[in-house]
Amino acid sequence: MANTKYLVEMKGLHKSYAGGVKPVLQGLDISMCPGDRVVVIGPSGGGKSTLLRVLMGLEDIDKGQLLFQGKNYITTDKYGKTVIDKEIRRNIGMVFQHYTLFPHLNILQNLTLAPIKVRGESKQSAELRARGLLTRFGLEAKEKAYPAHLSGGQKQRVAIARALMLDPKLMLFDEVTSALDPELVAEVEQVIMHLAEQAMPMVIVTHDMHFAKNIASRVIFCAGGVVVEDGPPEQVLGRPKEARTREFIQRVFHIGETEGVGRELSI
Amino acid sequence: MELDFSVIFDYKAALLFGLLLTLKLTAICVVLGCALGFLVAIARSSKNKILYGVSTVYVALFRGTPVLIQLFWMFFCLPLVLGIELSNLTCGVIALTLYMAAITSETFRASFSFVSKEQHDAGIALGLTYRVHTLYVLLPQAMLRAAPTLLSNCTSLFKESALVSAVGMADLMFVSQNISNRTGHPVELLTAAAVIYFVIAFPITRAVTALERKILHTMAI
Amino acid sequence: MNYQFDLFFIANGLWPLLKGLVVTLELTVAANIIGLTLGFVIALLVMNPNPILRWPFTLFIEFFRCTPALVQIVWFFYCIPIIFDVYIDALTMGILAIGLNLAAFNAEAYRAAIQGVQSNQYDATVALGLSPFQRTVYVVLPQAFRSALPVLVANGIGAFQQTALVAIVALQDLMYMGKILATDTYRPIEVFTVIALIYFAISFPISQLVEYIERRRKAENS
Repeated sequence: MANTKYLVEMKGLHKSYAGGVKPVLQGLDISMCPGDRVVVIGPSGGGKSTLLRVLMGLEDIDKGQLLFQGKNYITTDKYGKTVIDKEIRRNIGMVFQHYTLFPHLNILQNLTLAPIKVRGESKQSAELRARGLLTRFGLEAKEKAYPAHLSGGQKQRVAIARALMLDPKLMLFDEVTSALDPELVAEVEQVIMHLAEQAMPMVIVTHDMHFAKNIASRVIFCAGGVVVEDGPPEQVLGRPKEARTREFIQRVFHIGETEGVGRELSI
Repeated sequence: MELDFSVIFDYKAALLFGLLLTLKLTAICVVLGCALGFLVAIARSSKNKILYGVSTVYVALFRGTPVLIQLFWMFFCLPLVLGIELSNLTCGVIALTLYMAAITSETFRASFSFVSKEQHDAGIALGLTYRVHTLYVLLPQAMLRAAPTLLSNCTSLFKESALVSAVGMADLMFVSQNISNRTGHPVELLTAAAVIYFVIAFPITRAVTALERKILHTMAI
Repeated sequence: MNYQFDLFFIANGLWPLLKGLVVTLELTVAANIIGLTLGFVIALLVMNPNPILRWPFTLFIEFFRCTPALVQIVWFFYCIPIIFDVYIDALTMGILAIGLNLAAFNAEAYRAAIQGVQSNQYDATVALGLSPFQRTVYVVLPQAFRSALPVLVANGIGAFQQTALVAIVALQDLMYMGKILATDTYRPIEVFTVIALIYFAISFPISQLVEYIERRRKAENS
């Protein structure tokens, strides 16, 4: 019987672009428990988005293994080609930075396309569930509108609802508020918080440290394609063990050396 | 110079007959041309070297030569090459269809590359199969995007159809030239022909602009 | 297929076509000169706020764009002498007909290019204190020409191919000479194929060059 203690296990993940010239992930080993809300932080190009994309099965890997609920999800075959179990991939949902709603369909159709066409759900059932989700997110009035007429915050909330329609067991959020105007960020983060309260396991990549602090049960600082530090938010964000982590946190929170070396961040 | 516009009304039946042939020819070639053009666009986007090569040469040839020579070639040379007799109408249809397919293939090809990679990622994240993604996400957007340009391609074809008069087909142009020769009233009849073409083509070009605006407004495509 | 393809004929019998090619090129160059200059003037008139200037030229553009080129050429050849009671030689009439047609399409190209630049740059030029005249001459026009260039060249090539139509009114261009030759010698396949290739050999390199320049420009800008 498969070991289902962990939700996701990543072992020895290696990935590079341009045939090995540009390494992006260099030997990641991460295990995620069912209740985890993991926030991945780090500098640009450090591998955080790539990590998420690999998890979603959007990218090939060079070496390594991913297990989902103890079963083989992503591996490489003897020729080095990536093999992805598409059935397992269906259990994971992802929301991207740039909305990616389908512009030619209205909101309701955006939500119901995948359930109807891929899962064979009936139109009535899918629409009922879709309306329920839209109401939960306060968007029921927009069901017949087209994405072009929604604000950025509304579009992202619809994108989240669309992913939820497929009952994912894990949700991935890739910098979903980075492209939004500041006043629209809160409504999206509220929705994610709401999901967290309903015990949805999630991996979030974000620049918003305050949000990270509020939602994370675990923070991973990823730089140069490796995990530099991995622990509870109070530690990684408040009292980082590693110097590199500390340097990054200080930069992000705009705390300079002149304000006192070794000053502790209040959490 | 004396102008006698009543000539137009005397011959209105003949002019109407010519117009009907023009419209019929345009309609047939639009349908066949779009269908073939779509297939050619797919060939032009494929990785298969032979498909890509043949379709690229075809499109380059038909866009890089006068439509008149294409028509003459189909009319004078094709029967000889194939060794069978071809009616005027067949030659005209073949020539105009091949021309229409060449220009619409470019329109379709441009619209294919339009749907962003990010939507492709979203499709995977939603578990959409290749078939569903192509049929329900990619193609509808490509068609909507292509629609205004396609309509404008149709107008071009409508105008090029006048060339069949040069190979003796009794379209609007041929009929009006014929009548004007017979009655000695070129100004009235040729102007009438021009006006008829205009009255049909102009609203379509306006519709193209309106359609583009509507699509952009509703869907930001 | 019973037709005997005659390569010897291609090598030696096609010299009459050369005379026709000269006429075709004359038509093309002259029509392009008219099309590029007149087209620009018309574009400016069409963008003028005064409706009395705007409407006639808008109508001019629409008429040339919404009627077949063949109809325009035939109309020119048969009706202008009658209406204005003048005699104009065939070559000049051909140049005028194709030139005016080209001017209409080029006017649209210029207009789109100028309006495309204007909306972006207006605020910056006001902030810099440039006068409207300076803005037009130093900022708008140079950029407009650069962005209109591909369309203008494409239109020019289109005009080159359109010159073939003058064969129908018996102006002795490449196409006309070809048709005579093909019917006189009963060798339509060789003649028409070579003619098509001549048109192609002139159009294709120019259009490829423009596409290449465009691709380079896009790569530099992004």
